[in-house]
Amino acid sequence: MSEATFVDRSPERLRIGGRLAAAARYVVRDRELLIATILLGILVLLALFGPLVWTENPNGIDVGAALQSPSLAHPMGTDGNGRDIFARFNEGARISLAVGALVVLASALVGGTIGLVAGLWRGLTDSLLMRALDAILAFPPLILAMAVTVGLGVGLKTAALGTMLACVPYFARLLRSDVLRLRALPYVEAAVALGATRKRIVLRHIFPHTASTMLIQSAAVFGYAILTLAALGFVGLGAQIPTPEWGAMITDGLQYALTGQWWVALFPGLGLLAAVVAANIYADRARDILDPRGEFARV
Amino acid sequence: MTSGLAGRGVGVAGASTPPPAVDDVLDVRGLRTEFVGKEGTVSAVRNVSFTVRRAEKVAVVGESGCGKSALALSILGLIEPPGRVVGGEIWLNGRDISRFSERELRAVRGNEISLVFQDPMSALDPVKTIGAQIVEAIQRHQPNLGRRGAQGLALSLLREVEVPNAERRLNDYPHQYSGGMRQRVMIAIALANEPDLLIADEPTTALDVTTQAQVLDLLEKLVSDRGAAVVLITHNLGIVAEFCDRVQVMYAGRFVERAGVEDVFRRPTHPYTEALLRSVPRPDRLELGPLPSIPGSPPNLAHLPAGCTFEPRCPLGHGREICATVPPPPIQVGNPARVVAECHFARERWEAGEAS
Amino acid sequence: MRHGMPRLIAGRTLSSLSAIFGASLISFIFLRLVPGNPARLFLGQFASQDAVDKLVEQMGLKDPIYVQYYKYMWGFLRGDWGFSYTTGQPVTTQLGHRLPATIELGLYAFLFAFVGAVALAVIATYRRRPVVDGSVRAMSFFGLGTPPFWFGLVLLVVFSERLHLFPGPDGRLSIDSTQPPSITGLYTVDALVTGNFATFADALWHIVLPAIALGLAPLAFLVRLLRANLLDVSREPFIVVVRSKGIGRFSAFARHALPNAFLPTLTAAGLILGQLLAGSVLVEKVFNWPGAGALVTDGILRQDYAVVQAFILLSAVVYVVVNLVVDILYGVIDPRVRVVTAVA
Repeated sequence: MSEATFVDRSPERLRIGGRLAAAARYVVRDRELLIATILLGILVLLALFGPLVWTENPNGIDVGAALQSPSLAHPMGTDGNGRDIFARFNEGARISLAVGALVVLASALVGGTIGLVAGLWRGLTDSLLMRALDAILAFPPLILAMAVTVGLGVGLKTAALGTMLACVPYFARLLRSDVLRLRALPYVEAAVALGATRKRIVLRHIFPHTASTMLIQSAAVFGYAILTLAALGFVGLGAQIPTPEWGAMITDGLQYALTGQWWVALFPGLGLLAAVVAANIYADRARDILDPRGEFARV
Repeated sequence: MTSGLAGRGVGVAGASTPPPAVDDVLDVRGLRTEFVGKEGTVSAVRNVSFTVRRAEKVAVVGESGCGKSALALSILGLIEPPGRVVGGEIWLNGRDISRFSERELRAVRGNEISLVFQDPMSALDPVKTIGAQIVEAIQRHQPNLGRRGAQGLALSLLREVEVPNAERRLNDYPHQYSGGMRQRVMIAIALANEPDLLIADEPTTALDVTTQAQVLDLLEKLVSDRGAAVVLITHNLGIVAEFCDRVQVMYAGRFVERAGVEDVFRRPTHPYTEALLRSVPRPDRLELGPLPSIPGSPPNLAHLPAGCTFEPRCPLGHGREICATVPPPPIQVGNPARVVAECHFARERWEAGEAS
Repeated sequence: MRHGMPRLIAGRTLSSLSAIFGASLISFIFLRLVPGNPARLFLGQFASQDAVDKLVEQMGLKDPIYVQYYKYMWGFLRGDWGFSYTTGQPVTTQLGHRLPATIELGLYAFLFAFVGAVALAVIATYRRRPVVDGSVRAMSFFGLGTPPFWFGLVLLVVFSERLHLFPGPDGRLSIDSTQPPSITGLYTVDALVTGNFATFADALWHIVLPAIALGLAPLAFLVRLLRANLLDVSREPFIVVVRSKGIGRFSAFARHALPNAFLPTLTAAGLILGQLLAGSVLVEKVFNWPGAGALVTDGILRQDYAVVQAFILLSAVVYVVVNLVVDILYGVIDPRVRVVTAVA
């Protein structure tokens, strides 16, 4: 089944609003999921509307106001250059969430295509593709992303590319195993016997069923992508200061943390924590709802 | 071989009853087990009473979900939350084990009572050898044998259950055994400490027909060699006819009929028993038309009807006021009393049966 | 019945080798893509063009690409991992000096993760109290979502700076401690073995916070895995069978459920190693831990990429090898995997 079924336990007459309301009820009932949604919701709101509402310049240097502890004027304090951390936090939220989502989307597309091709064409193509995936998987993912950024030049773009590359095999393997499983099913055989073209088989018979597993994997990878991007930012291979990327901000805050100015490094980390925890909880629930078999990333 | 019921208390819960007779291995009185679930409390075992005599073979027959397995686990005290044994007495060899602490129960399990489970495929620890698992059972209750003694006994047990190449096979792992072989191992484990009572929960259900027959024959031989009593839980009436002395038919957590095997098959008193027998396909009596089945489905144990639990599906009692409103008490029929059935029309049916 | 084994080993070894080959290709490709002239970087910006050109020739950078690859790999296998641009020292020497520190940190982090995971998983599953189970689950979510570098910082601020319970980020030993003789390179082990208990205590004291920071993610990962496996196994019929023999609840749990749950957990060992490798790069910087990870982060800052390259390829090799060993080990330990066909 390609759609999620929300178990709605409310009595018949209270069922307002159809599926969306049912989903909302489900979320409220599940405490962990509720927390995750709230966290993510806050971050998304800050990312989308933060810069509109809180108009401090995230890159506005004001050395006179450097290293001020959190106050009404600066809810998250200021950093070594007097920049308002809250504004930077909001920008950072944008970066982490948006780039993270982009990375997931890209690697799902690329990985999914690879897996699809490998599963459908089999033979030599399959072997070669699998060998290539094995080569990518030979690296611990962060290390691979490091190799890419070192090779192609540091920066957010290459960091995103590196992270994407590291995530591709997980999607590829997933889709490949799904395809292999599904094509062996009798009704697909029947479709082939009836003369359906490959394209039709893919679109009508295989795709809908793999959608749910891809969704679960995406949620899990999303959290991981955010962490990896931040890690790259931390070591200096990702976004570069003054870009207010959370990982880079933590590096910046490193020097001040042990001399009492804890806020510079704390808040970006909290942001990361919130985003990734929320993503993981979603992935967990998605697994429960969509796929009773539930396995983790190492396919 | 039928058994007389004279002189035995027949399952009135809580009443002060005489102590169990000396030759009763098991005397269950008013056992009640509940499971707390999302839909409410499910009464899996509802005030069940029965006895098993020494070396007797009693069948517990019923459909899936009637509470048979819960009964077995309740007797052994192996019901885990969300389930709970909420009442009754279980007299084993003259002691009420329902009052036993976990520690005392551990001394009884595998020793005076053993259990044989239904799914041989998943009933053994996959990462331990067969020998180790038999030895474990032995050493638990016969530590005096020591390691060598226990291993020797394990070997002889394995031979007794007719596993070929027993000596080598002791060091094999469960996945190297077939289903029938594993079930034999289960029997070996169960009989390792010469129990007085063996409870076999669907021991042959997972096996193919030929293996079923072999395993049953084996079980019969071993049990009679040792003089152990058996409670055989099954839904396969064919096995019952061959193997057992007495039959107890379970429906919705209670025994609706208790009788000797001859009576159950020749003149079933309770309508449910009759319906069960009729639904068994018989190659010697080929009838045209669809296979008779019992209409409807077993009741939801969380929401039991007020009257007789079988009433909705009963060809005799459906719609009758007394059946729908009053739960039938256990009624003894026969002279001397030899069948107990929980049906308002037990006497009438029994007398009608006399004519056939 | 054991004839499945050699085939299993051969198959896995082959695919591992091909994976390493592929990884080396990837590594090499990205190495060659580094902007700038490696020779120029090595000699510095004041060197003459002639000198640079000569070095380029010497480094073989003018050779066709496949020759370069061959020389690179051949050199790597022989232990020639290039020279650091900034220090001029061979990379092998530098890494060699730093590796024991990373290994020691990794070991303690793993110990923390493993012991912690077993304890937590057992607590969560043995008595099935929803509160305990819920908090263990929550912990694992947090553990997986916390960036290890940030967490290390938090630990430092709280336990070192505020509570003064642990030392600050001053490396493996306090300034006034004497370094133990180098037997294994692991300070705690070396100190213990030579009877230098003061240094042992000091080294241990220093390793606690970084080990916790590094081990947090593996801990969370293992807890989830072990807990799930324990729950699955506890529901299996054979556990009830064991109980019916008269074995107590705890014995049944410890002797039957736990071993069965450990088995599939073993396969995660490779992944854990990957986490530790990547994590060490992140955590060592925070604690000024003089390990290979810190070497890499320094190298990145100073654009001294020879070290980074070597570390990357080395990680890949180690990662693949460990995964291979784990797979084979799993085959040895789990009796079900060995046999190709079951004997009736």
